[in-house]
Amino acid sequence: MTGYLVRRLPSALGVLLLASFAIFLILRAVQGDPAETLAGSDPSPESVGAIRHELGLDRPLLTQYGAWIADVVRGDFGRSYIIGGSVNELLAQRLGNTVELTVGALVFTIALGLLFGVLGVTVKNRFGQTLLSAVNSVSLIVPAYVSGFLLVFVFAITWPVLPPGGHVSILSDPQIGFQYLLMPALVLALPPSAILARYVKDGLQQALGEDYARTAKSLGIPPRRILWRHALPNALPPVLTVLGMQVGVLLGGAVIIEAVFAWPGLGMLAEQAVTRRDYPVIQAVLLFLVVVYVVVQLLTDLAYALIDPRVRLG
Amino acid sequence: MATETLTPGTPAPKTPEAAAPTAAKPRRVRNRYLRGLLSPRGLFGLALVGLIFAAGLAAPLLTSHDPTFQTADALRGPGSGDHVWGTDEIGRDLLSRLLYGIRTDLLIVAAAVPLGLLIGCSLALVATTHRAADVAVQRLFDLLLSFPGLILGLTVTAIMGPGKATIITVITIIEIPSFGRMLRGAILVHRDREYATAARVGGAGPLRLLTRHVLPNAADPVVVQIAVSMSIAVILEGAMSFIGIGVRPPDPSLGGILAEARPYLEDHPTYALGPLVVITALVVGLNLIAEALNRGARR
Repeated sequence: MTGYLVRRLPSALGVLLLASFAIFLILRAVQGDPAETLAGSDPSPESVGAIRHELGLDRPLLTQYGAWIADVVRGDFGRSYIIGGSVNELLAQRLGNTVELTVGALVFTIALGLLFGVLGVTVKNRFGQTLLSAVNSVSLIVPAYVSGFLLVFVFAITWPVLPPGGHVSILSDPQIGFQYLLMPALVLALPPSAILARYVKDGLQQALGEDYARTAKSLGIPPRRILWRHALPNALPPVLTVLGMQVGVLLGGAVIIEAVFAWPGLGMLAEQAVTRRDYPVIQAVLLFLVVVYVVVQLLTDLAYALIDPRVRLG
Repeated sequence: MATETLTPGTPAPKTPEAAAPTAAKPRRVRNRYLRGLLSPRGLFGLALVGLIFAAGLAAPLLTSHDPTFQTADALRGPGSGDHVWGTDEIGRDLLSRLLYGIRTDLLIVAAAVPLGLLIGCSLALVATTHRAADVAVQRLFDLLLSFPGLILGLTVTAIMGPGKATIITVITIIEIPSFGRMLRGAILVHRDREYATAARVGGAGPLRLLTRHVLPNAADPVVVQIAVSMSIAVILEGAMSFIGIGVRPPDPSLGGILAEARPYLEDHPTYALGPLVVITALVVGLNLIAEALNRGARR
C-alpha cells in the first residue's frame, strides 16, 4: 500500500504544482491592473506606483509566486483587494455553505445512483425498463440549471411548498435548513447520479453472471440476498472511482446551482471576485477547488487500490 | 419476403417497390454514420437541432425587431401588440432576443467545436508517434482535466474578461482533452489489431497504415464526440452567460436571457420558458444524434 502511495503521489503533487503555478501566472498576465482599479478615477502615476508597491506587484514574478505559495502553505491567503477583508475570512464564511450543498448533493447522488442502478437489474418488464432508461437519460443530459428552474417553477411557484432560493444553515435549524437544501442538492445530484446508476447496473449485471452468483443461487440463497450481499460488494470498486470523479463535477456544478438558488457559497464568491478582478480571492477559490479535486481523486485511487489488490501490485 | 430484410431500428420501407414482395432488399446506405443518422432517433435529433439552428440563422428574416431596442412596453406577456412572445423588463422584444441568442450559440458552437477537434486530434496524433511525446501530451491532458468545467471558465474569464471569445476559449480547452484522449486510445487499440499487422506485413508504410487503415476505424468515437461536444458547448454557454461571465449584456444569449428572467419567474413564467425550452431541445437533439451515430458506427 505504501509502495502504491509512493508511486501515485508524485503525479498528484505535479498536477498541484503545475495548476497552482498556472493559476498564479495567468492571473498575473492579465491586462487589467488592480492597482489602477484601486486608485480610483484619474489617478496620479505616483499613487498607482505606491499601491502597486504596497501590494507587492512590482517584484519579480517568481518571487511573488514563492511568497504567495509560502503564505498559502501556512494557511494565509492574503487580503482581498476589492471586496475587502482577509481572504481567509471570506473563504471561511462561504466554504461551509458550499460544503453543505456538495455533501447534500453527494448523499442524493449515492442514494439515487444505487436506487436506479439496483432497479435497473431488478425491474424485468419492458415498460419499467423503458421508463427507467428515459429517467436516466433525462437526468443525465438536461443541464442542472435547467432542471433547477423547472423545480423552482413547480415546487416554489405553482405549488409553493419549498423556498425558491436562499440559505438557512442546516446546522443552526435542521428543519428549515433542509427545506432550503432540498432543491439545490437534488438538482446538483441528478446528472452524477445518472452516471453512477449506469455503473451500478453494469457492475451488478456482470457480478450476477459470475460463477459465485450461480453457486449461491443453486444453494438456495434468496435472490434479494444474492443481490445485496454477493453481487453489490463486487460491483462497487468501479462505482467508487466514478463517484470520486463526480465530486469534481459536483464542485463545478455548485458554482452555477448557487447562482440559480441564491446560495451564498464559494461559487458566488468566485463570481463576484472574477467580475471585479479581485486576484487574491480568485486565486484562493480556484486553488482551493483544484486542491480538493486532486486530493479527492488521490483518495479515490487509494481506496480503489485498497479494495482491489491488482491495482496496487500491478 | 420483404419483412425478413427489416432489422430493428431501420425505418420500414415505404416506397411501393420496397413493399412489393418481388422487390430486392432495400438499398443499404453505405456510409455507416449516415446509416445511423437515418434511424428514427437520428432523424428526430437532426430535425430538432436543424430547426432551432435554422431559426437562429434566419433570425433577421423571422423578426423585424432589434434584440437590443428598448421600448416603453415592459414585461408584456405573449401576444401583446406586435410582440409575439412579449417583452422583457426594459421593453425589448423577447422573440427577437431568443432568436438572436440562438445565433450567438451557433457562432460559439461553430467556432469552439472544430477548434477543440483540430487541436485535440493533432495532439493525439503527436502522442502516438513517440513515447516521450505521449507522456508529455498525457500530462497536459491531465492538467486540463484537473480543472472542473466551470472552474476553468472562471479562470479564463478572470484573465480574458467576459465575452464570446472567452466562452469559445473555455469550450475549446475543455474539448481538447476529450477529443485527444479518445483518438489516442482508439489509435493505440487499432494499431495492434490483426488487420493493421496484416497491412504492415503487406508493406504499408507508417503514414499509409495510419491514414488508410487505422484512422478510418479509430475515427468512430471522435465522430460521436463531435455531437456530444456541441451539446456541452450549448450547456456551457448557457451556464457561463447565466452567472454573468459569458456573453455580455445587452447582447442576447440563451443563458443571459435566463439570468434576466430569474427575478420574474413568478409573474412572467413565459419569459424564462423560451431559453429553457431551446436549451433543453438542443441538448436532447444533439444527444440523440450522438447516440444514432454511435449505433450506426457499431452495426
